Amino acid sequence: MIREVPEVPRRSVLGGAVATGALALGMGALGAAPASAAPGSGPAEQAAPRRRPGQKTMIGVPYAVHRTVRVAVIGLGNRGSGMSAGWAAVPGCRVTAVCDIRADRAKRVAEDLVGAGRPRPAEYGGAADSYAAMLRRDDIDLVYIATPWEFHYEQGRAALLAGKHVVVELPVATGLDELWDLVDTSERTRRHLMLAENCSYGRNELAMLKMAHEGVFGDVTNGHGGYLHDLRELLFSDTYYTDAWRRLWHTRSTASFYAMHGLAPIAAAMDVNRGDRMTTLSATATAPKGLADYRERFVPRGHPSWREKYVNGDLVTCLIETANGRVIRAEHDVSSPRPYSRINSLAGSRGIFEDYAGTSATGARVYFEPDHSGHSWRDFAPYRKEFDHWLWKKIGDEAEGGGHGGMDYVLQWRTVQLMRAGLVPDIDVYDSASWCAPVPLSVQSLARGGRPVAVPDFTRGSWVNLRPGLDSRMTEMPPV
Amino acid sequence: MFSVVLRRAGAVVAVAAAVALTAPAAVAAPRAAADRTAVAVSPVDLDGPAISEVRVTVANAGPERMRRLSVGLKGPAGWAVQPAAARVEGAVRPGAAASVVFRVQVPERRPGFTLRTFTATASYEGGDGRGSGTGTRVERSGAVLERLSDAFDNVGATSESDTAPGDFDGEGNSFSAQRLAAAGLSPGARVDALGAALTWPDVAPGSRDNAIARGQAVKVEGQGGRLVFLGSGVGYDAAGTATVLYADGSSTSGAVGFPNWSFQEATAHGATLVGSTDGRNRPDGYGDAGVAYRVFAHAVELDPGRRVAAVVLPADAGMHVFGVAIAP
Repeated sequence: MIREVPEVPRRSVLGGAVATGALALGMGALGAAPASAAPGSGPAEQAAPRRRPGQKTMIGVPYAVHRTVRVAVIGLGNRGSGMSAGWAAVPGCRVTAVCDIRADRAKRVAEDLVGAGRPRPAEYGGAADSYAAMLRRDDIDLVYIATPWEFHYEQGRAALLAGKHVVVELPVATGLDELWDLVDTSERTRRHLMLAENCSYGRNELAMLKMAHEGVFGDVTNGHGGYLHDLRELLFSDTYYTDAWRRLWHTRSTASFYAMHGLAPIAAAMDVNRGDRMTTLSATATAPKGLADYRERFVPRGHPSWREKYVNGDLVTCLIETANGRVIRAEHDVSSPRPYSRINSLAGSRGIFEDYAGTSATGARVYFEPDHSGHSWRDFAPYRKEFDHWLWKKIGDEAEGGGHGGMDYVLQWRTVQLMRAGLVPDIDVYDSASWCAPVPLSVQSLARGGRPVAVPDFTRGSWVNLRPGLDSRMTEMPPV
Repeated sequence: MFSVVLRRAGAVVAVAAAVALTAPAAVAAPRAAADRTAVAVSPVDLDGPAISEVRVTVANAGPERMRRLSVGLKGPAGWAVQPAAARVEGAVRPGAAASVVFRVQVPERRPGFTLRTFTATASYEGGDGRGSGTGTRVERSGAVLERLSDAFDNVGATSESDTAPGDFDGEGNSFSAQRLAAAGLSPGARVDALGAALTWPDVAPGSRDNAIARGQAVKVEGQGGRLVFLGSGVGYDAAGTATVLYADGSSTSGAVGFPNWSFQEATAHGATLVGSTDGRNRPDGYGDAGVAYRVFAHAVELDPGRRVAAVVLPADAGMHVFGVAIAP
């Protein structure tokens, strides 16, 4: 029996989960096509919704110059509290307000910031809609959202409508209609919405991107990425994920929830939305065994999880084709015993990069012609040094102490710099929507027996145009 | 101004204002049928990371109107070019030209010498009647190495008393310095090959004595008929294209390659055997007696009327270069 979580807004359920739920219940899945449907003829193939009169693209639109970036944070659990300190540490950035449904968390984070010598932010909390009151403040330029997934769309949209720029943790939304609505809302409000895709700012990932642009890979033909992280212990923890929100997603959706950490760097290296685009996605899923097996061995009888049935496959794999004939494999597995990996592999006509495979400090290995011959892997270290992104050269030392190996701080520093200097975002709403589209599309494809489904073109045709992105030119942080 | 149709990944996208046609400056005089279509590529701004615009101009030098003109541009391997090709609607009159603007994704400028080659192709009906034409622009940047030894990055010869530093083949094996000397290939020795007087690297055994060909540019000055390379190969496909840069800014290129140091025909890739040794040094000492390990020469033609300034080595890690010199 699939049970819903009361806190989940109906819209989220309709977007990301009902297809799975319906399928699991033996009902006709929403949007599911007949088995005889041609590849790519799924719901996503529908034409892009028309822009309203006057609505324009946000591609290439710079931020207005902000002397100081004033950040508000919604969601102060593990992620939000840590990132609050990170935002406050960036030169020219101030956390002006914090919000959590649990008011005590807002107070704690505010006190932590004061303890770190930062100004005390305004505190909001105590109700599910406390954030709405916070968004009415006029001393907020950027809203950072780190709540459970089911709230991302609603809160991100509300922040845009309140006239704020938004950085949203993964995924920005779980339904195609939601993703389109965020694109439209960004275009209508002229505010940017960005997926907090910190791994896109990883040192290896950025070097890989620069090597792709240099032509080290020759013509890039394929890439693999994903999120392979044994979260079983945390998923069954009674304290880590508030109200077990993340585990409960495994009871109601077959989606590849969180592959963006591996998908996004590969998409960037392939210039997705900047000359290429993802066109079709087909998904496979292994049986959901991992969580039940873990529960059987390690979770006491009587624990609330024993009333749950897990439907999310242990390994959900999405094969994504691009307009330029490339293939991306994006994997998601958080319920199997295994060491951590985001895979990070990119290959082309002249060589290959593989992360999480080498023995050097970088953790990566390579093989490129003409530098290499003899069919043996080589150390990535000299390449990372040669192709090190300017962000890591500039602030790598500052970032090293930050979360996730420094990626969090690089993302935060760069975001603040872009806003303070009035530059075009590295990651925009179109990237964010594209990278999150596999969440609902994997559900659709699995419901169709793994048949390919079309990936929407959120740029509405502008993907053909080359344009800068994460491989940016060095610029200075404006002086404080 | 004409509209143009952009082809990309099988899709056809109509784009306006990417193509401009220019009329002849004066009334075009009748042209000889032998006049070729000229395809020119504009200079490329290589100050990346950036998106640079590159204009390709196709001049109709033929006697007929040029129809169904399609223009494409290809950059260095792996560089994105938008569009890959563009079709010019309408016709280009004799003496007139059409130009198409392409956008190229330029990476961050690299330290060291680079050659970036952009090749434009035009296919058409009418015009000079040939049906197609090409134009190339080679953009150079960075400094040229003063001498080949500055590019030495591999230990190819070791003493039989200390074989550990060697790694000619990527597996820790190397030439025996003693046996090379017996074949006339001792440090600093003159080596005559294919008409050139080369010098065997004047370094002690166990030192870096050869350059793995990775596209390095090395100063080589003089005039002559051939540029001779001294070296040997790893694998079966140790071959590539060497580019000769002349003092007047022009360049020529030619194929060059070496057979595998032990088990390939000595004339593979067109090479010439220079010297042979019996056995080789392995990580644990001298061994493989009875097997020949060899050094070769290969040459590319030069324009004898122009002064050579530098050579860009091929980009093939199987090629190991011990020396280079100009032959009369």
